[in-house]
Amino acid sequence: MNNKMMAVLFASGNENKFNDLTIHRTTTSMPFGGRYRLIDFSLSSFVNSGVTRIGIITRNNYSSLMDHIRMGRDWDLNRKNSGIAVFPPFVLNTSKEVYKGKIEALYTILDFIEKAPEDYVIISNGNVAANIDFSKVLENHISSGADLTILCHKAQCVNSSKRVIVAKDESGTVTDMYSVEVPSSDYKMVSLSIYVVSKEIIMKWVEQAYARGLVDFETDILFKEVPQKKLNAYEIKDYAAIVDDVKTYYAESMRLLDISIREQLFGGERKIFTKVKDSVPTMYGEKALVKNSLIADGCTINGIVENSILFRNVKVAEGAIIKDCIIMEDGIVMDGSQLSYVITDKKVTVKENRELKGFSTYPIVVVKNKTV
Amino acid sequence: MPGNKQCVAMLLAGGQGTRLGVLTKEVAKPAVPFGGKYRIIDFTLSNTINSDIDTIGVLTQYQPFELNQYIGNGQPWDFDRLEGGAFVLPPYQTAKSGEWYKGTANAIFQNINFLDRYSPQYVLILSGDHIYKMNYSKMLKEHISKGADCTIAVLNVPLEEASRFGIMSADKDGRIKEFEEKPKKPKSNKASMGIYIFTWAKLKEYLIKDEEDKTSSNDFGKNIIPNMLKDGQKMYTYDFSGYWKDVGTISSLWEANMDLLKPESGLNLYDRSWIIYARNAAEPPHYAGPDSHLFNSVVSEGGEINGEIYNSVISTGVIVEKGAKIYDSVIMPNSIIRAGTEVRHAIVGWGAEIMENCKIGENQLCATAGEWKIAVIGPRTQVLKGTIVAAGEMVGN
Repeated sequence: MNNKMMAVLFASGNENKFNDLTIHRTTTSMPFGGRYRLIDFSLSSFVNSGVTRIGIITRNNYSSLMDHIRMGRDWDLNRKNSGIAVFPPFVLNTSKEVYKGKIEALYTILDFIEKAPEDYVIISNGNVAANIDFSKVLENHISSGADLTILCHKAQCVNSSKRVIVAKDESGTVTDMYSVEVPSSDYKMVSLSIYVVSKEIIMKWVEQAYARGLVDFETDILFKEVPQKKLNAYEIKDYAAIVDDVKTYYAESMRLLDISIREQLFGGERKIFTKVKDSVPTMYGEKALVKNSLIADGCTINGIVENSILFRNVKVAEGAIIKDCIIMEDGIVMDGSQLSYVITDKKVTVKENRELKGFSTYPIVVVKNKTV
Repeated sequence: MPGNKQCVAMLLAGGQGTRLGVLTKEVAKPAVPFGGKYRIIDFTLSNTINSDIDTIGVLTQYQPFELNQYIGNGQPWDFDRLEGGAFVLPPYQTAKSGEWYKGTANAIFQNINFLDRYSPQYVLILSGDHIYKMNYSKMLKEHISKGADCTIAVLNVPLEEASRFGIMSADKDGRIKEFEEKPKKPKSNKASMGIYIFTWAKLKEYLIKDEEDKTSSNDFGKNIIPNMLKDGQKMYTYDFSGYWKDVGTISSLWEANMDLLKPESGLNLYDRSWIIYARNAAEPPHYAGPDSHLFNSVVSEGGEINGEIYNSVISTGVIVEKGAKIYDSVIMPNSIIRAGTEVRHAIVGWGAEIMENCKIGENQLCATAGEWKIAVIGPRTQVLKGTIVAAGEMVGN
């Protein structure tokens, strides 16, 4: 086998910050970009970098994820000798409760990591939308001589979610790492919580940390490694989005209306794959007026749509006005309704002449399967 | 050993489709794109799997690579089965002989061994160049209940058009009395759709006999069916009603695409109980820009639309620049229409690029329906800046 890397993906995280969007799903199965789920970006990046052995660690609400992934065929991951392994909680007989942090979660699957023939492991959060060439990351990691490489990007810390700031010198060596919870508009080097590390080192670290009862991978392991200067930072310069609450979900989705962002995420040879649903192409009616919007397959549009993202099979009736909205799969917006700054989850129906208005920093969320 | 299959389908996809000109220069007709994200063959393949027939042989001969690659292991249509599935069957050499498929019947004759592996009781013969949705299992049920040797699907066509088709004359029970290929004076309006179910043992007998006849042209319509009829075999019609179109010509291919824009045409792809499957391209949603205008049109994924589109079918990955205008046209996958170009009543082949300020197709704005001719730009053709391509003209590499 020539594959040098395997991957471990954390499906959960920050579910409490998505208002009602994660009632029925894990963060990584959040619909994103009109026809994808967040996990599609991770899986496609892995596959396009030759990484085909992928373990997915789930915590709760993982049925929508299992339904999405099935056997992994849509990502070309239905392999005989590798492919996707989903780890629900309680992997070990001795587990009394759901794992408390990444260290414990990794500890429960050490066997999976140890048995794999690959020499390196990608450890990744499932809440990042980016098209990453991991073979370049690995090259950089090996030449840096570091124990672990942290993927990061320049971004603002727009919300109060715990973001990890990485300080590095010119050679890429990490000089400091700390987490912030105060929003700030300054651009800083922010960790994407995606790491490349050798199998040997991750196994040693996790075993030692678990034995000492440590919980958090970042604060308990990485922050403590910084003084020993073994960490390398790799900057992702193309579009990369950390989606960890409704506000970032909305803002990062809307950035896709910019063609240069779309080219960074979807352009080039490295395609983003997703579950195939065999939708028909979208039908525009005689009264359709659509501007600056991303429209997935299967929609029928006869109303006004501006600055919005429509997922698959959305119906917009004549006389409906949708501005600055995200309408997820199977949404129906009826005649005379006006929506602005609204996120409707899957299978939401907005009846005739309803008006819903949110604000750019606080879009209204309508829960899955509901009728307004 | 493969198991027994009650019915195996054989899809005739070997035709060159010369009437499609530049569109079929490099690919066989069934592989020509249709309806934004499909290929013509997707309709027949999807009908077959939706009819619970899970074993199909696709007989290719002309330009087989594209079709081979497209069908692959048949997974997009759910044909990746442990027993059965989709098989691409080009002509092959045996110890004794080896030759091209001489005709439709000879193509099946050469694959008798393939069919016998599944010991089917019935064989469904299909052609890969029709756009329609049909449940073959209903036809099979009728074939079985009537104890027929052969059942032929027929469509009622207007009598004045009947002389373009193979016409069946049948009694009130549907038993075929007479069959005429393209008759000058049609005696009925029941046109053969080129869809046959045969009882395999009987068909095999006739295929072997037909092969021995050196004067035969080894064709179902010309030889097998007339011979069976002459011998008094039990042959019945199966009435089909619904949308059906042979897309063998430029104008019928264009019309069938346009029928997607008219719900009243009967061509409805939105029915989720009869999904038409296709091999999907991994493309993001299409983007409709600030200057776009999309009017009564179908648009597939991966496109960047910044121009004006009226009554057209825009396929996967098409780029239409600001200021470009497209009327009543079919734009096939991954082609580019540059700024200031106008396209009317045209088919633009896949991967074509039409540079700035061209005029493609009908220039008379008020040409009446049915009077214009379709302009065709061949696949991967680049049309230089400012070029004028007249109505009905065909341009290609």
